[in-house]
Amino acid sequence: MSQAILKVNRLQTFFRTSRTGVFQGHDTVRAVDGVSFEIKDGEVLGLVGESGCGKTTIGRSITKLDTPTGGEILFDGRDVTHLSASRFRPLRRDIQMIFQDPFASLNPRLTIEKTLIEPLYIHKLVNSRAEARRNAVAMLEKVGLDSTVMDRHPHEFSGGQRQRISIARVMIIAPRLIVADEVVSALDVSIQARVLNLIKKLQREAGISMLFISHDLGVVRHISDRIAVMYQGKIVEMGQKQQIFENPQHQYTKRLLASILRVPTLEGTHHVN
Amino acid sequence: MIFLSRLKAFASSRVLATLGMVWLGVIIFAAVTAPLLAPFDPTEIDPIARLSEPGSLYWFGTDHFGRDTFSRALFGARMAILIGSGSVIVALLLGGLVGMLSAYFTTLGHVFMRIVDVLMAFPALLLALVLMTLLERSVINTILVIGIVYASTTARILFGMTLKLKNEVFVDAARCSGAGHISLLFRHILPNLISPLLVQASFIFAFAQLQSAALDFLGLGLPPEMASWGNMLSEERIYVTRAPWLLIFPGALIILSVFSMNLVGDAMRDSIDPRFKNDIAGV
Amino acid sequence: MALLEVKNLSVAIRQKQGLITVVDNLSFHVDENETLGIVGESGCGKSLTALSIMGLLQGSQVRITEGTVCFDGVDLLILGPAERRAIMGDQMAMIFQEPMTSLNPVYRVGDQIVEVLLQHLKLSRAAAKQRTLELLDLVRIPNPILQINSYPHQMSGGQRQRIMIAMALACSPRILIADEPTTALDVTVQKEVLDLMGELQRHTGTAIVLISHDLGVIAQTCDRVAVMYRGKIVETAATKALFADIRHPYTKGLLNSLPLVDGDVEWLDTIPGQVPGIETVLPGCAFQPRCAFADERCSYEKPNDIRVAGGHWARCHYAGQST
Repeated sequence: MSQAILKVNRLQTFFRTSRTGVFQGHDTVRAVDGVSFEIKDGEVLGLVGESGCGKTTIGRSITKLDTPTGGEILFDGRDVTHLSASRFRPLRRDIQMIFQDPFASLNPRLTIEKTLIEPLYIHKLVNSRAEARRNAVAMLEKVGLDSTVMDRHPHEFSGGQRQRISIARVMIIAPRLIVADEVVSALDVSIQARVLNLIKKLQREAGISMLFISHDLGVVRHISDRIAVMYQGKIVEMGQKQQIFENPQHQYTKRLLASILRVPTLEGTHHVN
Repeated sequence: MIFLSRLKAFASSRVLATLGMVWLGVIIFAAVTAPLLAPFDPTEIDPIARLSEPGSLYWFGTDHFGRDTFSRALFGARMAILIGSGSVIVALLLGGLVGMLSAYFTTLGHVFMRIVDVLMAFPALLLALVLMTLLERSVINTILVIGIVYASTTARILFGMTLKLKNEVFVDAARCSGAGHISLLFRHILPNLISPLLVQASFIFAFAQLQSAALDFLGLGLPPEMASWGNMLSEERIYVTRAPWLLIFPGALIILSVFSMNLVGDAMRDSIDPRFKNDIAGV
Repeated sequence: MALLEVKNLSVAIRQKQGLITVVDNLSFHVDENETLGIVGESGCGKSLTALSIMGLLQGSQVRITEGTVCFDGVDLLILGPAERRAIMGDQMAMIFQEPMTSLNPVYRVGDQIVEVLLQHLKLSRAAAKQRTLELLDLVRIPNPILQINSYPHQMSGGQRQRIMIAMALACSPRILIADEPTTALDVTVQKEVLDLMGELQRHTGTAIVLISHDLGVIAQTCDRVAVMYRGKIVETAATKALFADIRHPYTKGLLNSLPLVDGDVEWLDTIPGQVPGIETVLPGCAFQPRCAFADERCSYEKPNDIRVAGGHWARCHYAGQST
């Protein structure tokens, strides 16, 4: 846990949005404005903040779904900020993303098998269809699904099962860094716990580094080693999780922690959100 | 109560669509078997029997050359199906490709969609007329011209849908897996456009009938010697008072075919993905 | 007598297989000045319950098959549309989850509140506007004189939800049904909105039915809680009593699934399996297939409500034994 696998320096990502009204020109939204952090090998960095604070944009900038305006992103010591789409493609094997909405992130027209083996083919990790299938079945078992789901389509599954399939699709090519964007927010509490356990288990086993983005403080505390708190496009506080929760320094972090609605019980305090 | 009335409305809409399908089946059957079914050669001239009324020998009567209208109508069905499917293929291939690529590659889209905008500024028939006057009268040219006219609307519709799909999370997810442009376009986006494309095809088919009939009527469509419903109307229009059947039969065939195809299209539209319902408003 | 009394309410959905009961023989009550929380996961029937109370069940696919919903002693389910409308909005009001879609985007927010006031109270337009300003001030919209002319899209999510609350409170209703009122909001805003609702209740004595999937929201705002699972209330008690002594395995499982904020655990406790589809008929306890404590009896015999203590009931054969 020493080498930094991802280093982000003064990252800026701006968007142009059209103002309301037809002839009003453009506004610039500074979604991410000068953010720096690093993730060490095998470490989970939690990124917490409220809607619109820019946390999703950071994830999308790292995975090149959004184009950074300024700053630099170093993966494994190599500057990947301005790589073209085709030069970046080989790196996609190492940098993967899991999305929030399990109902939107799987192509409704593809069977689970096709969804799972596609990345294997893209990165030429298998030599035959049979080998791809074997890998897919093995991966499905790891995420708690069996091979009978292979020929089915996404609409036949519940939200929790779909999120397992999304996780399997990402894990099947053994990435080194995963950006997980609000992956459990759309799930019911009892399902959320199981998916969280699964992600934690797989992350530990493979020693994957992870940027875990969430608005849910309890979830972030549970899964992360370190936590970064974001507010209006900037990281306002970053540190070990115990430190953030027990000894917050920034005004905003304090306000965030004070807003947690706890469930008082005899054994301890739990919370949601 | 509401449930029952809804059920009725639903059933009746499907009944109409079914009737439409049946009628199309009849037309296709007639087109395929025209040489066997036709009691006369559609070009055979019988000067003695000019402008005979419909009867047991000439079911739909004869035209001013004495040709059998029923046989010509049967062979006209061939043209209708040929022009319809040809135009659909041209419009979907051309328009679909332009629309998808324009939405996917933004810079390309700026250029392509402006051209489409210009094409769409012309009324469909006017555009077809202009293009036809530049070309010779032939089956291929008619198909190409009608196909191009509806390619612009198809491109517009596909442009909007592809823009929507392009930003779907599953497309992002595929991109993150390392999928290239070809794979994203044809493996992830296109299959989700199939059902709206089918609906679009049914409307284009219907409108192609009207367009080709109009072109024929104006003497710019198929070569005059060919038996098409539009040509039949065009040639015999001066006999409307003496021999109205010469116009009634081909006219009714055109109307019925267009109406049937629209019914089928409506029913298909009602049953597709709700995301795209507002995009397809007909051609 | 309770202000709102729901008795044996059943709601069914029409499916291919026939009518399927999704809210099953539900009974609860709310008193004046009290907040009742209804908590459960998606599909448990909590929102359908709210819609049934408000008479908002729409479409031919869903209908109330049984039961009474008595407001102030009057059964709402047998009222005609006109009589019902007189009570709705005036004495009963509802807040929905999505503050963006619940406001009409083409009207100024002030006008939308004025409209509600004119409809239910005999006020002049000027008086209605004056009252609207008071309401905006009450829900702490900054600068009401300016904001009264804003359109919904010009406001933040939290502000829009405050407008919804102002609208619901416009006619001083005696009961407020809030269906996931803060789910779409950020945590800091959520706290402010919930605090506001609590404060307004202390002033007006309005009864509140708060529906949420969030145990934290429920624990911090409600006087009593009803936990729903597959269309039934499986446990109900005063909030403090419930969390001090949970008796139903589902409630316990739900709570233990939550990550801790004041400590760390290696792995979260989970509830195995998933909620069976609505068409699945279970002869015994609805939670039996996922319950760690279930035995033979649970699979064939439906449990009744077992009284744990005064006002604390649990629908489990073994609720009598403390775990």
